[in-house]
Amino acid sequence: MMSLLRAEFRKLIRPLVWGSGLAVTGFCLLITWGVANNARGGMASPRIPDVCASAATAQCRHVIAHAHAAARAAATATGALAQPGEIGHVAAGMLASLPGLVLIALVAGGHWGGEWGQRTIRQLLSRQGRRGLVLAAKWLTIWAAGVATMLICWVVLALAGPPIVAGVGLPTAHAGLWAGLGSSVAAAGRAALVLGLFAAVATAAGTIARGQLATTALTAGVFLLALLLAGISSVGRLSPASFIQAWMSFAATGYLPTNFWSRFAGSGQHVGQLAGLMGMTITATVAGLAARWRFAADVTA
Amino acid sequence: MDVIACRDLTKRFGPTVAVDRLDLRVSAGQVYGFLGPNGAGKTTTIRMLLGLVAPTGGQIDLLGRRLPDPRVTARTGSMIEEPAFYPWLTGRQNLQVLAATSGGCPAAEIARVIGLTDLNDAATRKVRTYSQGMRQRLGIAAAMLGQPPLLIIDEPTNGLDPSGIRDIRELLRGLAADGTTVFLSSHLLAEVEQVCDRAAVIVRGRLIDEGPPVTLGAIRRQVRVLVDTGDLATARDLLGRWPAPHSADHADGELIVQHDSGRDVNAALVAGGVIAESVIVEQPRLEDRFLEITRPEIGRAPEPALKGNNHDVTVAS
Repeated sequence: MMSLLRAEFRKLIRPLVWGSGLAVTGFCLLITWGVANNARGGMASPRIPDVCASAATAQCRHVIAHAHAAARAAATATGALAQPGEIGHVAAGMLASLPGLVLIALVAGGHWGGEWGQRTIRQLLSRQGRRGLVLAAKWLTIWAAGVATMLICWVVLALAGPPIVAGVGLPTAHAGLWAGLGSSVAAAGRAALVLGLFAAVATAAGTIARGQLATTALTAGVFLLALLLAGISSVGRLSPASFIQAWMSFAATGYLPTNFWSRFAGSGQHVGQLAGLMGMTITATVAGLAARWRFAADVTA
Repeated sequence: MDVIACRDLTKRFGPTVAVDRLDLRVSAGQVYGFLGPNGAGKTTTIRMLLGLVAPTGGQIDLLGRRLPDPRVTARTGSMIEEPAFYPWLTGRQNLQVLAATSGGCPAAEIARVIGLTDLNDAATRKVRTYSQGMRQRLGIAAAMLGQPPLLIIDEPTNGLDPSGIRDIRELLRGLAADGTTVFLSSHLLAEVEQVCDRAAVIVRGRLIDEGPPVTLGAIRRQVRVLVDTGDLATARDLLGRWPAPHSADHADGELIVQHDSGRDVNAALVAGGVIAESVIVEQPRLEDRFLEITRPEIGRAPEPALKGNNHDVTVAS
């Protein structure tokens, strides 16, 4: 198994994987810069109701003061992006939501679906007849690509956060650099399980679709459908998107860009965190069984 | 010892029978040809031997073990159709990855197969820059990794230039001399004749002939002679020493005998005082041979198949 894993990891070192990881990291950076910029803009010109724009009543003065205080508070909270510990939330949340899904779908398409598209699956299976091992190795390497990207994203954000915050002129938080590290690590751990679910569905998609683009499309399509289902009140709580939402406890609002999911999945349809974990486990198991069943079929590529 | 033993091997894809009750036995150390036209079922048979496709019926014993058995897969070197590689890796890296997939092998072994296939200069180049011939060589190198006791190779000389074809043939003979069993699938009669100790001929999924290549009716050449109709009876007597296919058509002064040499046939006719209008050496197509075999009850050749350009034809000089 270790030798097979070495081979699979070696195959991951390719432009597609680097490029996808780079794109996701770049997206996280852009989001971070955008949020910091918005917070700075909000502080400079807080939202003041039109009726108070020119009025000088006591009530309006109170409203304006409150708006300035809220904008300062938001900017200070957003200043947490300068803390390497706290910014782990951004990396974990992004990789456990749509950017992570896109990454896994792209990597799985190239790394697994591409084995059929390029017909290398013949070489692979004629040298390694234990198909269960091949599936496990593929799942593990796709998942590892996701986790590695999350960690790289965290490191890059940790390095880029302070200059971004300083550059846009946000007030920095008085907390220590490593404040929030514990909860960020916990979020990253939870995100790793979500990436495992993405990878399980992607592995199954590869055995079903048997092609690079089809694998990417099927993986992304499954979760986009799940996000749509999550918005339907009658079935939403049974959607894998709701399980992820509940497991990650994604906040619908907040100062930090901690996810790209809750605005699509809603509040998680009142699924508890443990129920979310169980739902994710069941979804991954179903994906694994589908992969085993489909992968037992003839390979005629 | 039989390295490959198939009994009643059958594969159906829906209503299509790709391989039909195939019996094969390949002994250790042989270069065994597996001959058939395109679409005959060769590749499907090879896929079944390698565990890529599950048989619908029958059984396969490979290296003394009943399939499916993943342990056998790891001990079999193979190359199926056009070999496929990871284009973003170099030739050497591809071999390293493939070796690791089945448990790994030392760097010296990878260097050995690179040397044997004459890829030393190209081993550090990305495979996407390889020509078809280089990919073919790399495919053969990959199949030889770890010195497997059994090599299953599909169309090994596709895309190779004449010197490459000669090199690969010599390589395969050398491997067999060292005790490796080579199962060589090809649609090229000449290739099988030159390289193989024994051969099986498969057409439309059915085994139609098996034995040493020189004895295979399916690949034996024939000479088509055209004489004046007045000389037909004499010519038939003169050429009686050579067998005639049962489908031979004697109409219009034409005779067909199974023999390699048009020169011999012409000499026999001249010695008997018959001057031939034409003497043509033909290599019957396997498909024609199959049709001939499967239509014995009507005792004739498939209409246009034994005439015209459906054959590999050599005009005797």
